[in-house]
Amino acid sequence: MKSPEVKFSKAIALFLGGQVVGLLLGVLIQTALAGVYNGAYFKDIASWLLGVLLALLGFFYGLIGYYGLVKGLVWQVLGTIAGGLLVSAIRFLMGLEPFDLAKFGFTEGGWVAGALIGAIAFLAGVGALTDWFKWAKGEKTFDHHQDPEGFIKYFGVSLDHKVIGIQYTVTSLFLLMVGGLFALIFRLELSQTGLEILSLQMYNSLMSLHGMVMIVSILVGIAGVINYLVPMLIGAQDMAFPRLNAFSFWIAIPAAILLLSSLALGGFDTGWTGYPPLSVRAPLGMSMFFVGIWVAGWSSILGALNLIVTVLRMRAEGMTAFRMPIFVWAATATSIISLTATQMIGLAFQLVLFQRLLGMPFFDAAKGGNPVLFQHLFWFYSHPVVYVFILPGLGVISELLPVFARKPLFGYKWIAMSSLGIALVGFLVWAHHMFSSGMNEYLRVPFMYSTLLVAVPTGVKFFSWVATLWQGRITRELATPMLFVLGGIVVFLLGGLTGPPNATVSTDLHLTDTYFIVGHFHDTMFGGYIFPFFAALYYWFPKATGKRLNEKLGKLHFWLMTPSFFVLTLFMMRVGLLGMRRRIADYDPALSFDPWHLAMTISAYLIALSVLVFIWNIIKTVKGEQNATGNIWKSRSPEWLVPSPMPPHNYDQPLKVVGEPYDYGLEGSKYIEFVNKEEHE
Amino acid sequence: MSGNHNNPSDQLNQGLVIFILLGFLTFVEYMIAIWNQNLLLLSVVATIKAGLVLYYYMHIYKLGNIDEGGSHHSLAWKTTTNRLGFWLFILSDAFLFAGLLTTRFNLLGLTRPHLDQQLGLIVTAVLLISSFFMNRAETQMKAGDTKGFALSTIITLVLGIGFVAGVVGVEWQEAPFGVADSAASGVFFMMTGMHAFHVLTGVIFLGIILRNGMKGVYSAENCWPVEAATVYWHFVDVVWIFFYPALYLIGIMA
Ligand code: HEM
Ligand SMILES: [Cu+2]
Repeated sequence: MKSPEVKFSKAIALFLGGQVVGLLLGVLIQTALAGVYNGAYFKDIASWLLGVLLALLGFFYGLIGYYGLVKGLVWQVLGTIAGGLLVSAIRFLMGLEPFDLAKFGFTEGGWVAGALIGAIAFLAGVGALTDWFKWAKGEKTFDHHQDPEGFIKYFGVSLDHKVIGIQYTVTSLFLLMVGGLFALIFRLELSQTGLEILSLQMYNSLMSLHGMVMIVSILVGIAGVINYLVPMLIGAQDMAFPRLNAFSFWIAIPAAILLLSSLALGGFDTGWTGYPPLSVRAPLGMSMFFVGIWVAGWSSILGALNLIVTVLRMRAEGMTAFRMPIFVWAATATSIISLTATQMIGLAFQLVLFQRLLGMPFFDAAKGGNPVLFQHLFWFYSHPVVYVFILPGLGVISELLPVFARKPLFGYKWIAMSSLGIALVGFLVWAHHMFSSGMNEYLRVPFMYSTLLVAVPTGVKFFSWVATLWQGRITRELATPMLFVLGGIVVFLLGGLTGPPNATVSTDLHLTDTYFIVGHFHDTMFGGYIFPFFAALYYWFPKATGKRLNEKLGKLHFWLMTPSFFVLTLFMMRVGLLGMRRRIADYDPALSFDPWHLAMTISAYLIALSVLVFIWNIIKTVKGEQNATGNIWKSRSPEWLVPSPMPPHNYDQPLKVVGEPYDYGLEGSKYIEFVNKEEHE
Repeated sequence: MSGNHNNPSDQLNQGLVIFILLGFLTFVEYMIAIWNQNLLLLSVVATIKAGLVLYYYMHIYKLGNIDEGGSHHSLAWKTTTNRLGFWLFILSDAFLFAGLLTTRFNLLGLTRPHLDQQLGLIVTAVLLISSFFMNRAETQMKAGDTKGFALSTIITLVLGIGFVAGVVGVEWQEAPFGVADSAASGVFFMMTGMHAFHVLTGVIFLGIILRNGMKGVYSAENCWPVEAATVYWHFVDVVWIFFYPALYLIGIMA
């Protein structure tokens, strides 16, 4: 057995090698096709990204060999080529041009077929389908597999919800950094008037991908937290369907790759919303974006299905609905949305895809189509999904506040029901994104009121948080998770308060498509997701590893991120109110926005720096000693009553709920009891 | 065990009665359409048909059968859990088809594409008959009649393939419009295409349970995959119960 250090240097070497080989290969192919060599080939983004693909492959190969993830990636590449060739062959037989050099070799249909077959090939290669093939053949399969020892288990199919939760979370952090990198690049472009570093097409592609990569990162991130926590919180050993759970995770990987591949295949310029008719005319990258999100949708749908069944069927004895941890309520409300509404965005994207591929004129007004239909289908998902982003985060806030305030959670039932309320009302507000779209005018007013109605259940949460903090016994020295919780509350308040002006038709007609909107949703997403997500990571990291993240670095992370973030979004809103349009690469110097934009760019880089501090903290802590194996937060929740890291099957003894979950500080109150196994049988 | 204490032959008879009722309602539907293309009336009939299938063929009421505690390793517990999960999948899929119907009514309103009425009626009948045999197959498996199960499943499977052949092989070829001609043609191909795709996956599912059933993998007590395939097949039928009037009966020919 080689030491990990040796493996790591080999992986780095293969990473660099892969990058060089990929780039050279790209240049070589272009030279061969054109017949002459041109120095500009070295600047080609597609070749560079081919290099990135090979570099990542090389890196993981160096680390783990031909196993799991590496095998999946290889199979995905082969599957993509096979799918593309299949379409070429069919086109050839039909007497059509089999290849399209303007579209990187295959025709658009070839790329789409390749993308789908590649995704399935990935799943087969990684081993996520093996058990189902066995099942189809009538062979026996087992619910529990033995995971390999050591870190390698995170790179292959595992059925353990804790491993899957960590896989999701790490993937999410990776995507967060990729999406953040895109933002840093185009923020640089925006720091001054004039176009300096990006072409218009590149700006649009990066801006659009930033949005969608971040959204996928959020979806993957909440799946991570939910997967890791929910079975523990309800006293179960695992999710209801462990195999489906693994499938849901692994399908997100080829989806993310497809999404990112759109950058190499010509990019696209519609923003994350992909509205036709522009998306019908956008380059090939558009199709990869659609297919990528379509595939990612299955991850959400199946993950949500699994979660709902888990909550309904796997709760410990005595855990009635109103004794469930509040996070479980939030996760359930979220999953109801993901399970159902996701189909609509899938359909919307599928319809545009078919209009692109076969000319089916769903959104072509000249042939009886209707572009506004797309917006309805799209927002029927994409509004509710903002609650998917925030509800788990708000759940984390409600979960942690009583622990740190050492007081019962105020209005437990109201909070539980408000999550469901937000989720359900969230289905009735989608057209507030369409006030200026040209839909029937009489629709505006009902959608305005339904949107304003969402403020009621959201307000319930705020009142509960404030009341929980009131006279709480909070230590002067705030622990990092608590800092992020409090930061999240303030930022989310700002986001929530900037919502109603957008929901009110008369003001929205001025605000829509300005930077004000950009400020609004960054506030809601940071307050509702990013801050609580970090709070959860700081809080449960010791549960997963037995090691507590460094407090000093954690505080540095917080104090770097929070002020920068306020500067960023408040300035966004300011320039928005003054007339700065969103989604543009350049602006008129006469508007004199330059200093504001420069400040925003600097803030963005500071936020990025703070995330690097966090990553550094993780690396440092993982390498360090186990120093937090007990109940370090003095929590009542069952997962803290067993040692950290969590034992393989969570609870060796079944547990029983005997009291209220959040009665902190009430003398003699008890939430759970472990049942003696022998007695229980 | 899902507590149904009727004896098998009663159950087979019940399946037959429901089948006749569904056939009759389809006829009523057709007559209403000839008389006037009333959207409301046709939706009501379709909803009744769907309700019959959901209750008597898909046994939606079984979702209420929560097994008596029991260990998480017991077969009954697992079946109840699987059933819940599978129905949630069906619910999610139903949103896809609801989206397609929304698309159809948004783009076409109260007009409909120019289609062959006879063919529409024939494929609808084929799918309905396949549902009848699917129900038989399940009942027979639950009564331990493996041979009967195999025969009924084969008939269902063949009818399913016949349905796809009718839609894709005949209707698509004969349609007096191409995919790119108008939004209406796009809607027609997309709706029938997505539905046919589901029928095809159902055929594969049937193929798997047929093979495993004949190999003796399932028994009367332990045949969750058969139940799942049945529910799936009937669900695809329910979708068609709405798609058929939406495409063939409602509105005036464009
Ligand atoms: C609580 C009250 C909220 C209200 C009243 C509200 C209202 C609105 C409205 C009306 C718009 C459309 C603005 C326009 O484009 O003209 C909007 C945009 C948006 N909101 Fe909110 N919102 C609220 C909370 C949230 C939350 C919690 C999130 C997510 C975490 C969120 C995420 C977004 C996003 C992503 C957009 C931009 C969509 C786009 O045009 O691309 N909002 N909000
Ligand atoms: Cu919205």
